[in-house]
Amino acid sequence: MQTIEFKQLDETLFYKKLPNGLDVYILPKKGFSKTFVTFTTKYGSIDRTFVPMGESEAITVPDGIAHFLEHKMFEKEDGDVFQQFSEAGASANAFTSFTRTAYLFSATDHIYKSTETLLNFVQEPYFTEQTVNKEKGIIGQEITMYDDQPDWRLYFGAIENMYHNHPVKIDIAGTIESIDKITAEHLYTCYNTFYHPSNMLLFVVGAINPTEMMAFIEKNQSQKEFPEPTPIERHFEDEPKEVATKERELKMDVQKPKVYVGLKAKETDLSGEEMLKHELSVQIALECLFGRASNFYTEVYENGLIDETFAYDFSLEKGYGFALIGSDSNQPDQLANKIKDEINNAEKNLTADKIERVKRKKIGFFLRALNSMEFIANQFTRYKFNEMNLFDAVPVIEKLTIDDVLKAFQSVQGESQQTVFKVLPSSERKE
Amino acid sequence: MFLSTKLAEGVTLHIRQTTQFKTVNFSIKWRTPLTTKDAAERAVLSNVLQHSNGRYKKSAEFRSYLDDLFGTVLYFDATKRGNEHTLLLNVETVNDQYLAENKVFNEVLELLNTVVFEPNFENGSFVPSIVEREKEMVIQRIQSIFDDKTRYAQHRLTQIIRPNHPASISANGTIETVKAITPESLTKAYEKMISEDKVDIYVVGDFDVEAVQKKLTEALSFKDRTPKQAEKKTDVSKPEKDYVKEQQEMKQGKLHIGFSTPVTFGDEDFPKMQIFNGVFGGYAHSKLFMNVRERESLAYYASSSYSAHYGLVYVLSGIEPANEKKATDVIFEQLEAIKKGEISDLELTQTRAMLINQLKEALDLARGQIDIYDQYKDLDEQFSVDLWKERWEKVTKEDVQKMASQVQLEAVYFLSGKEA
Repeated sequence: MQTIEFKQLDETLFYKKLPNGLDVYILPKKGFSKTFVTFTTKYGSIDRTFVPMGESEAITVPDGIAHFLEHKMFEKEDGDVFQQFSEAGASANAFTSFTRTAYLFSATDHIYKSTETLLNFVQEPYFTEQTVNKEKGIIGQEITMYDDQPDWRLYFGAIENMYHNHPVKIDIAGTIESIDKITAEHLYTCYNTFYHPSNMLLFVVGAINPTEMMAFIEKNQSQKEFPEPTPIERHFEDEPKEVATKERELKMDVQKPKVYVGLKAKETDLSGEEMLKHELSVQIALECLFGRASNFYTEVYENGLIDETFAYDFSLEKGYGFALIGSDSNQPDQLANKIKDEINNAEKNLTADKIERVKRKKIGFFLRALNSMEFIANQFTRYKFNEMNLFDAVPVIEKLTIDDVLKAFQSVQGESQQTVFKVLPSSERKE
Repeated sequence: MFLSTKLAEGVTLHIRQTTQFKTVNFSIKWRTPLTTKDAAERAVLSNVLQHSNGRYKKSAEFRSYLDDLFGTVLYFDATKRGNEHTLLLNVETVNDQYLAENKVFNEVLELLNTVVFEPNFENGSFVPSIVEREKEMVIQRIQSIFDDKTRYAQHRLTQIIRPNHPASISANGTIETVKAITPESLTKAYEKMISEDKVDIYVVGDFDVEAVQKKLTEALSFKDRTPKQAEKKTDVSKPEKDYVKEQQEMKQGKLHIGFSTPVTFGDEDFPKMQIFNGVFGGYAHSKLFMNVRERESLAYYASSSYSAHYGLVYVLSGIEPANEKKATDVIFEQLEAIKKGEISDLELTQTRAMLINQLKEALDLARGQIDIYDQYKDLDEQFSVDLWKERWEKVTKEDVQKMASQVQLEAVYFLSGKEA
């Protein structure tokens, strides 16, 4: 077992790669009664075309399958896994993102029992045509629920505008039509390809003894047999640098228009510390330009172009990346133009003193976030899947220069990278 | 858990020293009886106080200063609990020991005094342009409920079953009451809040307790007050209709059902009602989840929540509109089953374990420690997890059955798409 110390943060991380390839990280937290455990596979909605384990030809599976598989993992021959977690007083959950599927629980008691439940239910698939079909009604309602959420539609509308081919533009849960095609056999194919321990990471954080916990996990894993790991071959079509659609809108039953300006990233091939530096730099640039302390914010707030929903964010993974900036606004076009102007003239506002201030803010954010076990476990996993280290973030921020920020920001700058998506009220409503 | 000291009549300071967190958390809560007019004024007030103050008259200057303090988080908010309105100030700052340079903590203490006692006044009252813009922000917040169909359906249900009652009064007031606010009326509301409200101040973090006590007492000079007690509203009549259906442009149907119970927060039967809710629909092992979702595949979510301060139980589910009757039937069957005593030992064990875990987990957060203590301190002199654990363990099947038999339907509300 390796120990990695982060002196300034007063944290010690324990790590071991098990013989079956599973990466196990344990972070003990003093003074807490809770433990939080995530078991994550590097497999998300974008992994739709791949070579199944043991085969040589790539296949494309129905959209929404990673998420469908996540749902179906909870049902076993002898019932629902939630029952076991509840009995041990553990809150269990799972989520599927573009790039990851995570299974998790938090609890203050019976930690070993629930850890065992987690490891076993994720590593013992049980799918039948009957249980698969039964789930279609449930997931159908989940899809319909999201369809009615204007903020979700706005988010996906903007992503759809940006991408020509990349599957990030496909809704994580798929559509009612695509999930209808899913079979138990599909689920086994995806499971066998992506749920090999060598493609997974277990993170334990909380009130635990790291040596005992590691031994417990090792013992559980050594009792199971897995095939030899083989590299996973994922296929992606080439994606042009420029956005697919410059502008689009959707009518919904909303009281006020919503708008996002999307900026498609050109630089999507980084990993490790280079990626960490790049990602933090773009986030800092956005905060300088659009944060509460910015000239931009003061102006659009005073002109009434935004309300409390104003937000901006940057996401980056291998193969895709984008920034989104927007708000509910009665003048969505005017706001979109202001945002674009600000991007086009970013150099004017990305000054050394502003960057220094935002760096301090960002350091404070990370230190606050380290109080949260959910943040640590989820973000550590995401960083690790991109060969980055969460605990490097503070030292990397400290070292960032104005040149780093200006250079990184160029990735999302440029007219051909910009798109606008609006959700508009479908009709005049009377109060 | 907390060390409480009286700073003035009606003003209490609660301190908790712990090495659990890398930050220090402050929370100041001002309370007054809940009315629509007060709620509106205090919602706008919380925005205006967050915008700027006497030291930083421009919002951008204020925000830059907070960024410089390693992104110290500072926000005001308007909430409600039972028949009281709470205006709160939350501040979270990094503990100096994790920073290369220090003094952040002292600056934050000074800042607390500034944001509370030195408002951004122009000729003795709030700046009209700021008041107007923040009124607009609160109005937008109220209107945005319409875009979130779950929140909207829940809002409509409470209006139907408890009109003109604290349960349905929004902590933000109404559009009309917000519109009626002037800089002068807002200034009066501020002065009333500062001098008349019941005040609780919380601090959680790793520090020298005596030093913080001393500094805070100096920084926050509250005067004696005799806070008004909110009256408990008892004259509740049955809603005019027990079924309301409304339509909007949407795909899913939102089925929201309201029930009442005579048991409210702090009553002797309160722990029994908490167990009842857990067996009925509070968790993923509950009857609603297992039957509406897992057995019948009717919904992605089907759950219940116990709004203890108002003596109400809500059931929420998102379904295919055509399945309205079937889903309603399955939901009522679950309640009937509990009334008949169809409660397994496993369901009781699971529910107790989940309640205990929820409480213990919440206490791992500084904000959770503040909120739970703030809520439970009036019930028991010595709040502890073990005390509640014991209360939940005593609850029997018969108790849960009895709770179910006291639950009365108030109304069913169904929001769905327009029919072709």
